[in-house]
Amino acid sequence: MAKDIYIGEVSRNEEVRTDFFLMKVTLPSGFVEPKPGQFVMIRIAGLNDPFLSRPLSIYSFARGRSNCTIELLYRTVGKGTRILAGLIKGSLVEISGPLGEGHFVTPNTANIILIAGGIGIAPLSLLAQNLCRKACRGKDAMTFYLGAQSADVLVGLNRVNKYCGNIIVCTDDGSAGMKALVTKAFQKDLKKYDPADTAIYACGPRPMIRVLSDMLGPEYFCQVSLEERMACGVGACVGCAVAVKDELGQKTYKRVCADGPVFELKDVIWE
Amino acid sequence: MFQEGQGYFQLKSEEKKDQAMVVEIAGLKLKNPVMTASGTFGYGEEYSDYVDLNLLGGIVVKGLSLKPRPGNPPPRIMETSGGMLNAVGLQNVGVDVFIADKLPFLRRYNVAVIANIYGESYQEYAQVASKLSRAEGVHALEINVSCPNVKRGGLSFGSDPRAAAEVTRRVKAETHLPVIVKLTPNVTDIASIALSVENAGADAVSLINTITGMSIDLSTRTPHLKNITGGLSGPSIKPVALRMVWQVAQKVSIPVIGIGGIMTAEDALEFMIAGAKAVQIGTASFINPCASVEVIDGIRHYMHENKIKNIADIVGTLQT
Repeated sequence: MAKDIYIGEVSRNEEVRTDFFLMKVTLPSGFVEPKPGQFVMIRIAGLNDPFLSRPLSIYSFARGRSNCTIELLYRTVGKGTRILAGLIKGSLVEISGPLGEGHFVTPNTANIILIAGGIGIAPLSLLAQNLCRKACRGKDAMTFYLGAQSADVLVGLNRVNKYCGNIIVCTDDGSAGMKALVTKAFQKDLKKYDPADTAIYACGPRPMIRVLSDMLGPEYFCQVSLEERMACGVGACVGCAVAVKDELGQKTYKRVCADGPVFELKDVIWE
Repeated sequence: MFQEGQGYFQLKSEEKKDQAMVVEIAGLKLKNPVMTASGTFGYGEEYSDYVDLNLLGGIVVKGLSLKPRPGNPPPRIMETSGGMLNAVGLQNVGVDVFIADKLPFLRRYNVAVIANIYGESYQEYAQVASKLSRAEGVHALEINVSCPNVKRGGLSFGSDPRAAAEVTRRVKAETHLPVIVKLTPNVTDIASIALSVENAGADAVSLINTITGMSIDLSTRTPHLKNITGGLSGPSIKPVALRMVWQVAQKVSIPVIGIGGIMTAEDALEFMIAGAKAVQIGTASFINPCASVEVIDGIRHYMHENKIKNIADIVGTLQT
């Protein structure tokens, strides 16, 4: 048996922006280094209400001498995340992961574009960190389009600043950066990027991904991380289905948890 | 129809000491009375990294149909108080792909494999049963006449005693394997359905499948599930399931398999005292992949503490 449910200890859990929390969890060293885009299922040890575990993207990973640490950046949207937000230092959580066969793949292109909307920054920040180490042809080759509703809910900027030379911040109300949707800002620059030499990665609300889908033809390499309600997180319940094209171009339902959460944008079907 | 010796389990020497846990369901010997329920454990492979499948009494695989089924459009699930609703709609690879691609994996384990089958017509149930009976490594069939999330077949067969009996007869005619009929709670009198399938030749009944329910998003006034309704499962349905198992166990003479919200060994033992010869662990696996193994350990511990020599000794011992 290669996988386990790990007991993690919360070492930090604080509200970094209104309704946005950053949780740091210490895990046994057996926890495998996640690939960007992978996630964990988290629940409070011994608590059965809320019933289901919550899927959260991995924001960062660090391996220490006798244990490892992950960070989870999350937004409180319902009962489960609100209870998680109430955990104090020293609380125990059950974590399984890293989960998801579909993760971001390392590009071999001159341009690397990351587009995040709101909490979508979480998996892309880990991706930026990894690309910085492995694939990036200098800090300036990577461009990060970061969107939020307003300055007070803009998260993760300091973190991506470390990895990325070009950061374009957009807010709906103009309270930080450009007053525009992040997809608009990206569209303005689109002609600069040669499809054959550009890799695009995106995570954000469904309408944002949808706009990208309309904007980018199949000639672009674009991977997106999708969200869906989940029960098991390992592919057994088939609850987190998303409509995508199979190899023959036929519609099929894939599991966000096991087949994703990262998919090729050109395969996603909008119903 | 059942041939003596078929589907028998080879207990390894280290398992011999656990003879006290062995149960027999319609001639099929299980190492212990704990199986994983259909639709909650995939095809076994999904959880094989977490659980040693050899420890399980049996694995009931996700419902299989004649042709692959795409399933229902999302959203398919919604959490509820103490449980969840699902309207997956029997998404599955189809019986042929199961036999070719999924069954070989399961054959590597020393565990009873029970294939849950679904059809849109009597004919389809019979065809799926026939294919599986010829496959190596399937030890029993469980007929799904109780899925609430499909338009044709499923529940419509399970809520009519005559239709349920006819499905049972058609499947029995195609197979030498033990046939379990999985019953729906979405009926007025579950015991009468159970009696009807017993008379039609069912070797065992398993119950309950999910209870039809729904949930509404206040901000949009739309159902949380695209299918509008879904099947409720999880600990919140346990009292209903327990009551139905008790009612059915008093009426039928074939083995009853208890399902519904079992999270712990204590839950499983309640079902056995109510008359279930074995149990299935369903939704619990979603939040704890090791739930089934923990239930097995817990039952063993209970037997030791209470000096129970054989698990069969507690079945149907409810004092009223």
